[in-house]
Amino acid sequence: MNGEPTRRDVLGHAARGAGLLAVGGTAAWLSLRAGKAGAWTIDWTKCVNSRLGATGVPACEKCASTCVLPLSAVRAVNDHSRCGRCCICPAYFDVTSDLGPDGLPTQKLCPRDAIRRTPIGEVDPSDPLNNFYEYLIDEVKCNGCGRCVMGCKEPAGLGSIRLEVRYNLCLDCNRCSIAQACPDDAYLRKPAT
Amino acid sequence: MRYRQFSTRAGRGVHGDQFKDAVRGVGLDRSDRLYVVGDSEAAVLDGDGRLLRRWPTGGPGYCIAVDINGNVYVGETCRIEVFDGMGRLLRTHRDAGRLGTVTAIGFAGEDLLAADATHRCIRRYDRDGRFVNNIGDRNNTKGFLIPNGHLDFCLDANGIIYAANAGKYRIERYTSAGELLSHFGRFGTRNPEDFPGCCNPTNVALTAAGRVVVTEKAPARAKVYDAAGTMLCLIGPDAFDQSCRNMDVAVDSRGRIYVVDTARLLVRVFESQDGPAAATSASSPASGGVRP
Repeated sequence: MNGEPTRRDVLGHAARGAGLLAVGGTAAWLSLRAGKAGAWTIDWTKCVNSRLGATGVPACEKCASTCVLPLSAVRAVNDHSRCGRCCICPAYFDVTSDLGPDGLPTQKLCPRDAIRRTPIGEVDPSDPLNNFYEYLIDEVKCNGCGRCVMGCKEPAGLGSIRLEVRYNLCLDCNRCSIAQACPDDAYLRKPAT
Repeated sequence: MRYRQFSTRAGRGVHGDQFKDAVRGVGLDRSDRLYVVGDSEAAVLDGDGRLLRRWPTGGPGYCIAVDINGNVYVGETCRIEVFDGMGRLLRTHRDAGRLGTVTAIGFAGEDLLAADATHRCIRRYDRDGRFVNNIGDRNNTKGFLIPNGHLDFCLDANGIIYAANAGKYRIERYTSAGELLSHFGRFGTRNPEDFPGCCNPTNVALTAAGRVVVTEKAPARAKVYDAAGTMLCLIGPDAFDQSCRNMDVAVDSRGRIYVVDTARLLVRVFESQDGPAAATSASSPASGGVRP
């Protein structure tokens, strides 16, 4: 026997090295993930736009104005199981605007016209109040300003619209600019489950 | 015409005349005794607010009414419990598959009328409890438009039904056969005479003189209209907790208005500052409003 490594020795060393690399890589990935565990989320009970009791104040638009993305990662989402399909939705219409000849407000609340109002079923053309309407939010347009959330809040509305973080858009910044600007500490990092 | 708060009844607490979690409905009998339903109990108070009796109901009650015989009707989910004046259960009215959550009860002759908030119409039953017809479901919305999930109505001396169609911002008048006679009211946020929000008025009652008393949410307030739909008086909104919604309302023989403060579990009593005569003097005939 001489000091030359055999083919078996070389293969064995290579296998051990690959194993160590895999273990080390996994450990590094896990430690990185642990450092960024969870995701940014909005606590509706804290957000002034959806918090019950906070009425008569303008909508907070920090989610729209402070996100580092050109169009915020926050969107308004309508829970259709709770939506009343109202004739005059206070989230869709600016209910303080002048009324038109049909008795409906003439201005919309959304500054980006991101809510679509569609009659459901057969329409009574003689009476706009004699119909149901569906309200769909166009997430391509919505910037999460929260005005519709404030308009829909109980007791004036039914509270079916809320702000949510879209995780396919969120960059998951460590120091989220929305969280730093939120006056109600409603923008929180939710721990991973 | 002006009203001021005369006193309060009930309230949040554990005393005999108080409620722990909810007060949802009020009614009056012919002697102006006040019936209050909340939590899962019914209470009877005398004219000075003293508790006369109290008893448990089978479930949470959403409304309470007293017929001419003094029997007490409590509207619950899918049933109406009927008690005698002492609180003994006489019978339970059910209509499986038809009757949903009952949020108002009235009597037209020997017929029983029940507001079915689940199916958005008023159910009419005869004295034997047999279904007769629906009221308010012959329209494009297949029923009353009540995003707030609450339907209220009352009847005048002639059996004409006054229903609060909140999502259409109207008080609608119907015959007991379900024919829409007329309506008044419109949406608006600037003129107090109009109805704001997603759905108002939420509740309605009539004075003996034929005036229409309504309550609203956001802002929580009460208003008095003549029969033609002209507003005579605004009560609040400073009189109420602004988180109140679906505030039940009743009017006694002296024209006092009883409004449920659903946030503070109170019944607020308002009386006319112009005296009882002004509150009970006859209004114009109930023929006003828009005819369909």
